Amino acid sequence: MISDRVVEAIHGPAVMFAGTRNERLYPAQTFVIGAIAHSDHETITFFIPESRSERILSDLNNNGRVALAVSLITHEAYQLKGVYLSSRPTDAKDQAVQEVYRSKLLSAFLRASYPEQIAKPLVLGFAYQPGIAITFRAEEIFLQTPGPEAGKKMN
Amino acid sequence: MAEEKNTAVEVKQQIAENQQIIDQLNRQLARKNNEVRIIQQISSEITSTLDLDRILETILNAMDRVLGFQHAMILLKDKSADKLTVAAGRGYEHTTIGAEVAFGHGVVGVVAERKKMMRIGNIGASVRYLMAVRANLQEVGQQDLSNTTAKLPSLPNIQSQLAMPLLVKDRLIGVLVVESAKPNAFDELDEILLTIVANQAATAIDNARMYQMVEQLSRLKRFFSPQLAELILIGGTEDPLKTHRREVTVVFLDLRGFTMFAEQVEPEEVMGVLRDYHAEMGRLILEHEGTLERFTGDGMMIFFNDPVVVPNPAERALRMALAMRERVQELSKKWRKRGYDLALGIGIAQGYATIGAIGFEGRWDYGAIGTVTNLAARLCGEAKGEQILVSLRVAGEVEDLIEVEEVGLLTLKGFHKSIPAFNVLGMKSNA
Amino acid sequence: MGILSDEIKPAMQGVIPSHLVTCALDGTPNATVVSQVYYVDSNHVALSYQFFSKTIKNIRENPRALASVINPETFESWDLEIEYDHSETSGPVFDIMDMQIEAIASMTGMKGIFKLRAADIYRVISATKNVDERIPLSEIGSVSGTA
Repeated sequence: MISDRVVEAIHGPAVMFAGTRNERLYPAQTFVIGAIAHSDHETITFFIPESRSERILSDLNNNGRVALAVSLITHEAYQLKGVYLSSRPTDAKDQAVQEVYRSKLLSAFLRASYPEQIAKPLVLGFAYQPGIAITFRAEEIFLQTPGPEAGKKMN
Repeated sequence: MAEEKNTAVEVKQQIAENQQIIDQLNRQLARKNNEVRIIQQISSEITSTLDLDRILETILNAMDRVLGFQHAMILLKDKSADKLTVAAGRGYEHTTIGAEVAFGHGVVGVVAERKKMMRIGNIGASVRYLMAVRANLQEVGQQDLSNTTAKLPSLPNIQSQLAMPLLVKDRLIGVLVVESAKPNAFDELDEILLTIVANQAATAIDNARMYQMVEQLSRLKRFFSPQLAELILIGGTEDPLKTHRREVTVVFLDLRGFTMFAEQVEPEEVMGVLRDYHAEMGRLILEHEGTLERFTGDGMMIFFNDPVVVPNPAERALRMALAMRERVQELSKKWRKRGYDLALGIGIAQGYATIGAIGFEGRWDYGAIGTVTNLAARLCGEAKGEQILVSLRVAGEVEDLIEVEEVGLLTLKGFHKSIPAFNVLGMKSNA
Repeated sequence: MGILSDEIKPAMQGVIPSHLVTCALDGTPNATVVSQVYYVDSNHVALSYQFFSKTIKNIRENPRALASVINPETFESWDLEIEYDHSETSGPVFDIMDMQIEAIASMTGMKGIFKLRAADIYRVISATKNVDERIPLSEIGSVSGTA
């Protein structure tokens, strides 16, 4: 029930980040560098830098709730909320996906007329290895493109 | 022993870090001192002159040379309307001078409206974001989204702007703005520096503009009555001395029998008659707000609807002519007692004329040229004593107000066709 | 001495959008992008309230949020733990935000349509600079890179 359009966005070139919360309902976030929407159109695996994983994993293990924000440079945006399933360190296959993602994202920024001296460090400057792969099942999908319709449920 | 060595190393590191901090503070202090000194210099330069262009030039020059603001503009508020016009610019490929900005439009327009400064460093990102919102709104059927094509005078790839209102007491004189194609180009220190420049600039510009107005007023007073001169100045109309075309009602008048009178009578007495006559006619011209274009001895030309546009020029001309006739009739009684036989003749026509300053350096007059002036002059020439001859056009304009009698078709010098003319008998009783 | 130093100010100019995570009372986190987190003083930030949203609903129930801002020159990011304090519809903070929004709205044909409804003022609980995140510029030659 994740639409094709959202799958397309997840595979790049969208900027993504994930949000979690702890037992006191205090939120946390991390940059997400690459993701895969699985063929079941329900589960997603996203990749975060290991340097950020401690708090995120602690939250996920505590309550399993996660939100993934997906925004294209055009401001077209989606949010997927769901339930944590599993995590593991990223492997070579994951890193290959990440590198495709990074190159797509860089091209998108350059096409949108960001100068190279900004686009390159902005996109390529995030340390993404070593990384952690986090898999979750999406339960709700929302349109988040800015405007009066932001927050509309899609599924 | 190892511990001592560690402590020594730590102390050395600490001293080096402290030195770095002190150096940085010294640099900041030097920068501040330098800039304050130079701002004082700008201030003294601009407050010592009343030449508006020089003031604007000095400000922008100093802002570039000394403070590093390479792209800057000064906009001045329009005298009456809620808009600004670019008066000076620096660092722009194409001149922006003359470009207009309405209050509330863009950074400059909002600063003018609110009379508060604004600093923004993310124009590109903000515009992109709002355009996305706009597309979203269009999709859900939002009405009254206006066109985005109204261009603002700015750098092409503008990212940062710092705009300062120029205020004297609470009155807005204009806006000073610096721009950059880099995001986040300006900081709080820039705000402080620009505030100081803006305060000085506002006073200097205001004084220069006041001076300009006083100059213009005295220049206009040479051509027009004081009230008219002020009206022109305040009204913010186009410079009337610039050649322009307008439809005007023209009145010519002179005294029948004056030539013979001037030949036969002593010069002092002639001057005396003229003095009384001019005084009375002059008063009536002022009362009816006509423009006296010229007077030569007993002849006068007055027109209406220029330099100040009025809704009823023909009516004013008629009322003035009738008042003049009545006044001269009274003067005539006095003159007849002395044996002078003088009577007023008036001609009135309406049409387009070319109007502006006529003459040469040192001797300028405000003149009107066109068929209408010739027609009015000829009608005056044809008028017998105490007649007010008007053209068909004028008769039509005021037909509800006056009683006329047809005088027939006149053959006038300079006109191919015969001209129908009418003599004004008086106001209609219900007028 | 407040929590936000001068160093973070460039990150609060809205040059690069920020991330905001809030959490509903039922425990569901909400992750959205905001165009700018405004610097109010060394202990306060502000967010602009334009359209009523899940974010606003969450904040009114559970005032704790996390805002992540990026410096557009160094690309270092900061995580700010913030807590909603109150909303303002007038005053100096509101005015600054309102003027900016009005200016940009007028430039995009939305004068009078896109307006600031309120300035939501948040207390800053903590500000953490994320130091392990960057690949040094010199190493960004090709597409791949490691920390």
